[in-house]
Amino acid sequence: MKHAMAMVSLAAVLVHPQLSSAAQAGQARRTTQTAQPPDLSGYWLGSYCVGLQNIETAKGVIVEPASGKIPYRPEMAAKAKDNTANHMADEPELHCFMSGVPHVMYVQFGFQIIQSRQSVAMAWDFMNAYRIIPTDGRPHIPAAIKLFQGDSVGRWEGTTLVVDTTNQNDRTWLDTTGNFHSDAIHVVERFTLADANTIRYEATIEDPNTFTGPWKVTETFRRIAKPDYEQLEFACVEGNRDLQHYTEQAGGTAKSQPR
Amino acid sequence: MKRALAGWVVTIVVAAATVIAAGAQSRQSYAPPKTADGQPDLQGIWQVLNTSAAWNLEPHTASWGVPAGLGVIADPPDRMIPYQPAAMARKRENFQNRDAADPLAKCYKPGVPRLTYLPFPFQIVQSPQLVTIFYEYIHNYRTIHLNRATHLEGIDFWNGDSIGHWEGNTLVVDVANFNDETWFDRAGNFHSDALHVVERYTRTDANTITYEAAIEDPKVFTRPWKMSLPLVLHREPNFRLLEYECQAYAEDAAKESKK
Amino acid sequence: MRAFLVAIGMLLAAGPAVAHHSFTAEFDASKPLTQKGKVTRMDWVNPHSWVHFDVTTADGKVVNWGAETPPTNVLFRGGWKKDSLKIGDEIQVQGFAAKDGSPTMWASSVILVSSGQRILQMTPPAVVKEGNP
Repeated sequence: MKHAMAMVSLAAVLVHPQLSSAAQAGQARRTTQTAQPPDLSGYWLGSYCVGLQNIETAKGVIVEPASGKIPYRPEMAAKAKDNTANHMADEPELHCFMSGVPHVMYVQFGFQIIQSRQSVAMAWDFMNAYRIIPTDGRPHIPAAIKLFQGDSVGRWEGTTLVVDTTNQNDRTWLDTTGNFHSDAIHVVERFTLADANTIRYEATIEDPNTFTGPWKVTETFRRIAKPDYEQLEFACVEGNRDLQHYTEQAGGTAKSQPR
Repeated sequence: MKRALAGWVVTIVVAAATVIAAGAQSRQSYAPPKTADGQPDLQGIWQVLNTSAAWNLEPHTASWGVPAGLGVIADPPDRMIPYQPAAMARKRENFQNRDAADPLAKCYKPGVPRLTYLPFPFQIVQSPQLVTIFYEYIHNYRTIHLNRATHLEGIDFWNGDSIGHWEGNTLVVDVANFNDETWFDRAGNFHSDALHVVERYTRTDANTITYEAAIEDPKVFTRPWKMSLPLVLHREPNFRLLEYECQAYAEDAAKESKK
Repeated sequence: MRAFLVAIGMLLAAGPAVAHHSFTAEFDASKPLTQKGKVTRMDWVNPHSWVHFDVTTADGKVVNWGAETPPTNVLFRGGWKKDSLKIGDEIQVQGFAAKDGSPTMWASSVILVSSGQRILQMTPPAVVKEGNP
């Protein structure tokens, strides 16, 4: 009888989907969940199929403040205009850099969400970018590490995935026009499955070096209809002639040669 | 609540039967846990322990900065890549020019199977129709399609087009639609656009995937050949992929050298 | 319906559907033009592909033009495959002129003259209609 009971509990450990061997180590600190979170998996398309050119003029993106303008600190306000006028050669997409958070949620060509018990992964065609958001309750990585897409940790609040992102570097822009941030940027995003084919998205952005206070952006993602839709590889550096064009204009030589 | 309990009861009953059978089997071979939809579970963050394959797949002596290697080629038995005579000349030329000519020196995509044995971790995520592998190296990711039996027509990729199926506990991945731009290692081992790779991923114990890649390219090699390496699970607490954004560092280095 | 309207909006837009840095730096949205010529080379690359074609001017001179296109993913999903254009195929390219006056343009539309087929399709993928569970 004892042997059978041991066998049954061993069986439960081996077969129950939650407890693969890779996850057993993390089981002790997993947050208690009384209900299954909704599954956000699938292919999604936002409203900005041409990418996010100007976050301030893109309709419906900035919802707070009511003015729809980024609340730059007075000494920072001129820098965005300066970027647009004089520093388009620094535009991150031109360098094949990933877009950072929350800009990456607005890039063109759609994205995929792959949700599992321990994490929510998001993958984009554009720049072949991805984010992996662990939902196992772990802390952020050390502050000394700076990443283009930052460090994201997620938790479920009922049917909403709440994602906290820190550790971003200052090399990405908020759009392709030159709105910018520092490496102190902190973003809290909320993904809610409004119905089977709609995700409502909201992000609160804070950066004491750059902005006078937090501000908020929203977006709606619709599920892509094609049943056999696939993502395709996006190589950027390999064929990038635009960078050479810019650096030649600026009098420099391009590090990446066109094929 | 009742449904969840009933589910558990069914799971335990089925599990007990499975374990009693598996108990006999486990004396001979390791049976990996299963994902929620019944696939053998390969999930986790993996990396090769081997430090020399990325430098040179063939047996080689050490040199400045390059560790020696016994070679990772399992077939042919002499562990040497079976080049056609004209291709061998090109390989030697690649080797002479390797520091500049290696596509990785330009921050290009590594191709397959080179992505597997670079000295960077990668994360395997499974969902019902896909196995996705996210690589830390320049945020590459590969989508392995389990629900498509044929390769795409009219497009090629740096990392190829991957279609997969399960043979017992082995994920077999058929990769085609390559361009001719990638190398297999820093030593200049190369291929044409006729490259065809078949990978096999088998979890042979809790911390190991036995990885094998069979290489075919009738334009370059006299016969197919095969490499084999173990992939080792990262078990450090809270381990996660970080970033290696080659293009950014290349630009930084170029700026430094101009000062 | 929404996806359809979005698609039409993109087709009718004065500027290119993919409006970002490289367009505004290199091309002039106030200088639309159409060129016709025979394909000499196709560079199937990201982030932008290039199709090169020989244009014969009114006075009989042959000038090689280059047209920049959206990424290969967009081309492929719209039906333009890597081998869709052969050397010598006649194409009609509609788009915007380069700012620097060189024989370069952005391609908003590419038509394969022999079949009349419009091979460059800029429509985004359709989304599930609102109200569908």
